Amino acid sequence: MTEMVKIFPPSLVALDHVSVTFREGEIHAIVGENGAGKSTLMKILYGMQPADSGDILLKGKPARFTDPGEAIANGIGMVHQEILLIPEYTIWQNVVLGLEPVKFPNRLDVKKARQQVRAKIDEFHFNLDPDAKVEDISVAARQKVEILKLLFRNVSVLIMDEPTSVLTPQEIPQLFSELKRLRDNGHTILFISHHLDEVLELSDRITVLRKGKFIGTLDAAKATKANLAQMMVGREVIFESLRLPQQPGNLVFEITDLKYTDSDKRLKLSDINLKVHSGEIVGIAGVEGNGQLELVNAIMGLVEPQTGSIRCSDVDITRLPILEKRRKVAFVSQDRANMGACTPAKITENVIMTHHRLGKRFTRAAGTVLDYRQAVAFTGEVRQMFDVQMTNGEAPFKSLSGGNQQKIILGRELLLTAPFILLDQPTRGLDVGSIEYVHRQIIAMRSSMRGMLLISADLEELFRLSDRLLVMHRGRIVADLRTESTNINEIGYLMLEGKAYEA
Amino acid sequence: MKIIIGLINGMLTSATPILLAALGGSVTYYAGIFNIAMEGMMLGGAFFAALGSYYFQSWVVGILFAILGALVMALIFILFAVVLKMDEFITGIGLNLLSLGLTTYLVRQIDMPVTEIVPIPRIHIPGLEQVPVVGEILSGHNLVVYLTLLAVIIIHYLVFKTRYGLRLRASGYNRTCLDTSGVSANRIRVSSLLICGVLCGLAGAFLSLGVVEGFTQGMSAGKGWISLAAVILVSGSPVGIAFISLIFGFTDGLGLFLQQDLPPQFTAMVPYIATLVALFVYSMRLKKKFNA
Repeated sequence: MTEMVKIFPPSLVALDHVSVTFREGEIHAIVGENGAGKSTLMKILYGMQPADSGDILLKGKPARFTDPGEAIANGIGMVHQEILLIPEYTIWQNVVLGLEPVKFPNRLDVKKARQQVRAKIDEFHFNLDPDAKVEDISVAARQKVEILKLLFRNVSVLIMDEPTSVLTPQEIPQLFSELKRLRDNGHTILFISHHLDEVLELSDRITVLRKGKFIGTLDAAKATKANLAQMMVGREVIFESLRLPQQPGNLVFEITDLKYTDSDKRLKLSDINLKVHSGEIVGIAGVEGNGQLELVNAIMGLVEPQTGSIRCSDVDITRLPILEKRRKVAFVSQDRANMGACTPAKITENVIMTHHRLGKRFTRAAGTVLDYRQAVAFTGEVRQMFDVQMTNGEAPFKSLSGGNQQKIILGRELLLTAPFILLDQPTRGLDVGSIEYVHRQIIAMRSSMRGMLLISADLEELFRLSDRLLVMHRGRIVADLRTESTNINEIGYLMLEGKAYEA
Repeated sequence: MKIIIGLINGMLTSATPILLAALGGSVTYYAGIFNIAMEGMMLGGAFFAALGSYYFQSWVVGILFAILGALVMALIFILFAVVLKMDEFITGIGLNLLSLGLTTYLVRQIDMPVTEIVPIPRIHIPGLEQVPVVGEILSGHNLVVYLTLLAVIIIHYLVFKTRYGLRLRASGYNRTCLDTSGVSANRIRVSSLLICGVLCGLAGAFLSLGVVEGFTQGMSAGKGWISLAAVILVSGSPVGIAFISLIFGFTDGLGLFLQQDLPPQFTAMVPYIATLVALFVYSMRLKKKFNA
């Protein structure tokens, strides 16, 4: 692939003139932080997204696929993070779907289909039972079925998007030995991962992307964790901190021994213990998918932890109803459009959400009638305090730009009287100016002695705002460090490895 | 004995249109379409069947007209629900209302004397007819009744034994998966609606050229809705649909029988009460399954 450019509106460059060469018969890992452009690059190759410019050469010939079907016909297949199979069907039915052998009159040739699938399973030593129903088999086996489905279509290039993220640690070596066997059979495997251990173990060559730019391609034999981490995270950055020295106050928020296992019995959170004091910002760093989402959901009551408690100013809020919880916790969600706001509703309506239940200001007649005049006045206050660019509170929320939407949500949440604020990626998708503004508002909240938990994928942001930094890795908190006594390389290493440098 | 034979024959007659429409609904159910337009397709089919039979003095043309009429309805459904991606439920309601209004209007404009409509013939099976009881039950039904029995077998085979069936069900389970397997889910959905149109048209033809001769306003009388209930009740299974339809047919016949003692307005409610009872039993069964 040469000179790939992909620009996501509004003016966020996902891929900036990236050129990579993949060789036949190699396992090629693509690594980089969140938002580095790994998935975008692969989706372009697979025909799921169009590129704005640039060329793809496949065996010397220009190729540009408009849909995945075309890519598969040309021998390129992709296994997604989420598995796309029909759970109600057996393995062989899933594999042959679309290429079914038939007898007259259109009758499925079950015997032949099972034979063909059996032969493919044996050819690649997959250890699957073609008659098992997909809903009854493990996630690892489903992944194998996905690979099998592509091999059945004679695909020679396999793209795997974070294949290990859905597997348990015990299942990973098996996948790796299967992928190596495929490579030895002449297949090319492109492998996206965050985990440097895996990358070094499995791949022949490694390409590093950072913020949409191509940083370099290394031979795995010559690469080390340290130099890969350096390439991924980038230059040594000195962040100017926005914080003024301030003595934290009382304990406002505490999680003890929290454990959460999801419905597929995968351990998502374990031994989570953390404390937030008033006037303190605690940052959580971690590669996406290491339990941050589950932690947020557990705090907000969207999932129920198996053990442990969440306390906020001496009240156990673990199982409180949401309205009671909202008296204690203000919450800025990373999902603006679905969780943070109701996008088709008016701006004014979005501004008073939660306030209209918790405060008496916006209702009359014992809380049954909305006082719309007060709502409009409050919208004006939020607009002024948070510098929201908008013309009319009656306009639908979705008519605002992302930055202004976020300012409205921040305004709403920060003006709640809750002593604790949960900030989940508060600046995701915002432009530099808005980020700056949001940061200053967060710091102002710190000065007024609120306690905050900040989850972010942006290390720069974490270093700028947090008093303490926690690092999450595979569902655990693996480090609790004062911001002053650590640096970005240490945090980056902890995020990827889950443990400190070994001297 | 006479009463029992009468009830069984009544059951078959009442079950046939429900069963045919429900088989159509079964195909769209497996394709993952929430299709409530069977009522409208059936009613349209009934009108055009009478029209074709009257103008061409032929029940064969009547059936062809019925199928064509219902197919036009199916095409309207396809245009809105598949091509324009509108809500299937709204499209279905619109189509049902359109069908009712249009056929009511047309039947008032076009005068079709009942005596000049050629009905679909009854089939008398030689030999079998002479056998007492069994002959009386199995022989002498309308041609469509026999076609319906055949349709149950064909639809069952189509859904569960053929390549088309595998893709059809895949479309209902997970469209994206079918699309990425290289089969257009939309084509499958379109074809399922066309099959549904054909079957509903046939059901309509049975109403206006079989049960009675001639078209009357709103003569489908909720049979399309009952067929929808049957489809949902058994999650689409063609054989299950056949059973449910026979139960409805039986209660319908029972209602007619009870008219000797009860006012007809009450007896006409029997099939619908049966629907509610069936739904209740079904929900109980589901509850048990989830609790187990």
